Amino acid sequence: MASGTLAKPQMRGLLARCLWIHIVGAFTVSLGVATLYKFGVAEPRKKAYADFYRNYGSMKDFEEMRKSGIFQSAK
Amino acid sequence: MAHPAQLGFQDAASPIMEELMYFHDHTLMIVFLISSLVLYIISLMLTTELTHTSTMDAQEVETVWTILPAVILILIALPSLRILYMMDEITTPTLTLKTMGHQWYWSYEYTDYENLCFDSYMTPPLELDPGELRLLEVDNRVVLPTEMSIRMLISSEDVLHSWTVPSLGVKTDAIPGRLNQATLMTSRPGIYYGQCSEICGANHSFMPIVLELVPLKHFEEWLLSTLE
Repeated sequence: MASGTLAKPQMRGLLARCLWIHIVGAFTVSLGVATLYKFGVAEPRKKAYADFYRNYGSMKDFEEMRKSGIFQSAK
Repeated sequence: MAHPAQLGFQDAASPIMEELMYFHDHTLMIVFLISSLVLYIISLMLTTELTHTSTMDAQEVETVWTILPAVILILIALPSLRILYMMDEITTPTLTLKTMGHQWYWSYEYTDYENLCFDSYMTPPLELDPGELRLLEVDNRVVLPTEMSIRMLISSEDVLHSWTVPSLGVKTDAIPGRLNQATLMTSRPGIYYGQCSEICGANHSFMPIVLELVPLKHFEEWLLSTLE
């Protein structure tokens, strides 16, 4: 009967190939986590402070606090 | 003040504290990067069936894991030094306030123009008014002007203490026989709380600091009324 031959499986370098794939994967995951933190936490925090101070009026803020009675020195 | 179950910093009320927060974000990002890399590699080591029993050397990976940490350390050091020098900038302060640590209270001296000195004791919990904060309120608050460079001179009359206001990014040791200097510059008015940060005896937890930051006009009115 006719029989086909199977392709020769990869016999060597399995660990090296696995290491290469996972080193790329590890760096991708870690850089992804860092990017996630930077654009999920760090940049929004900077933007929040910039937005807060853009139109901030310290006298208006002070007057609101003074009317609420929290200051001892300014009633 | 801190809120219950708060994990992060208190809202920054000074430019230096803002910079410290951004630096912390930068460094924490690097910490997460390294931790996730190590965690990935550990899980890999625990789940592989492949081995290499005749490893003699690994010059390439040794080079990588020498150069890469050095680069990471430089990426941390440069912003760190930038903020360090920023905190030590020589400014011309408009006001000088001296504070002395005692067991267990702070005393303050405004001696630029007239001589105003007072002690600041914690308000006992039983004497608090409704809405006041336990272990944080004091009888006499430190009143200071906003948006001005203020020089703090900090020392102690007895043991080590530490004068801290987290919102302003200030923590300076009060050391007997030594005068330490810190610079305050607040961006906005308000009440800012801090607590002694160097173990100083039985009531170390019960000597808080409360700053009342008001516009200059109101600060001057307060100063005059207190001196009368």
